[in-house]
Amino acid sequence: MATVTATETSGPIEVEPKRPYVLVFAILAVVTLVELSVYSLGLPRLETIAILVILATIKASLVVAYYMHLKYDHRLFRVLFTGPLLIASLTLLALMFLFGHLYIKIM
Amino acid sequence: MEQTEPAGHEEEHHGSPWPVIIAVGMGVGYVGIVSPSIPILVLGLVIFAGGAGGWIHQDMQRPSSAFYGVAAAVESRFPRVSARKLAIWLFLATEIMFFSAIIGASWTLRLRTTTPGLAFEGPWAQPGEILNVPLTGLNTFILICSSLTMVEALAAAERGDQRKLRLFLLGTLLLGMTFVGIQAFEYQKLYFGEGLTFKSAPVGVNPLYGPTFYAQTGVHGSHVTAGVLAMAYTTRKAFKGGFTKEHHEAVELVGLYWHFVDVVWIFLFTIVYLI
Repeated sequence: MATVTATETSGPIEVEPKRPYVLVFAILAVVTLVELSVYSLGLPRLETIAILVILATIKASLVVAYYMHLKYDHRLFRVLFTGPLLIASLTLLALMFLFGHLYIKIM
Repeated sequence: MEQTEPAGHEEEHHGSPWPVIIAVGMGVGYVGIVSPSIPILVLGLVIFAGGAGGWIHQDMQRPSSAFYGVAAAVESRFPRVSARKLAIWLFLATEIMFFSAIIGASWTLRLRTTTPGLAFEGPWAQPGEILNVPLTGLNTFILICSSLTMVEALAAAERGDQRKLRLFLLGTLLLGMTFVGIQAFEYQKLYFGEGLTFKSAPVGVNPLYGPTFYAQTGVHGSHVTAGVLAMAYTTRKAFKGGFTKEHHEAVELVGLYWHFVDVVWIFLFTIVYLI
């Protein structure tokens, strides 16, 4: 069977030897340590939450882009992943808006 | 519209009855849950387990399928998209919705507990007050390590390096088992030591803390357990020489699920343990 590249097909990815799997792993490990440090620093609550959510988003993005190969794979899969993620995120925000502090502040 | 097979590709139609039997088992089990009837539920589980066992046994008898690459263009609206991979991504899309529902419900309850005058008012546990954050940080690191070994296993399969494929798959399996083991240890400590149960929490903490904690981490833990079982199967097949440089799509599909479970944990670790 002829060899095909990831951009031509969504079959098994042709893994290039230079893909930065170990580098991504190192970043993930370091960011996890940073998360634990932020947690233990005792910063103001809102700042802590904001920093931790951003760090978690960075970590998740790296895993999805490099380990799940979404960066290299067919764009259909990007749509399939980011579409539901966007809907889910908006739903979560709406829930918090409706039932949480924001609701009280508005009222 | 009639389409032709790509040159050099042999379509696979094994016509296995086992997926249908699995679906029947799930349907019967669901009826048992809704009824509710324990015997019907057990019957459904037995049919499900039998179907899964039969399918695994059948698949283990031969090398990994050749159904990858350009194959799926046959009946797909999306040319050059593997049907199996498309199915996995669709499954992961539903999983995003599933986990967001669990997390959303938990957050809604949590916000209500801290809103004066609303139902369920009461203090939420502070980060680290009940939960063992350093231990869970270690578990997070273990899961990250397993993602690395998983992606290296796929890279080895692409190179046709059988030794490293087996080594990395085995490593992923062991790391996954370690994660589940540590979580079980954590549950045991929390449930019997701290008094954090499915229905209550330690004195001074809102009783909803327990159910929301177990709902979020338990659902994820069950996913990791399912991933460990899939990894055990994949690893065994690798040791039997079931994957080749050309035929190894199953490794990638299992890997996608595994990495997704890792992604979910990355958020859960922050949401449940650190915030």
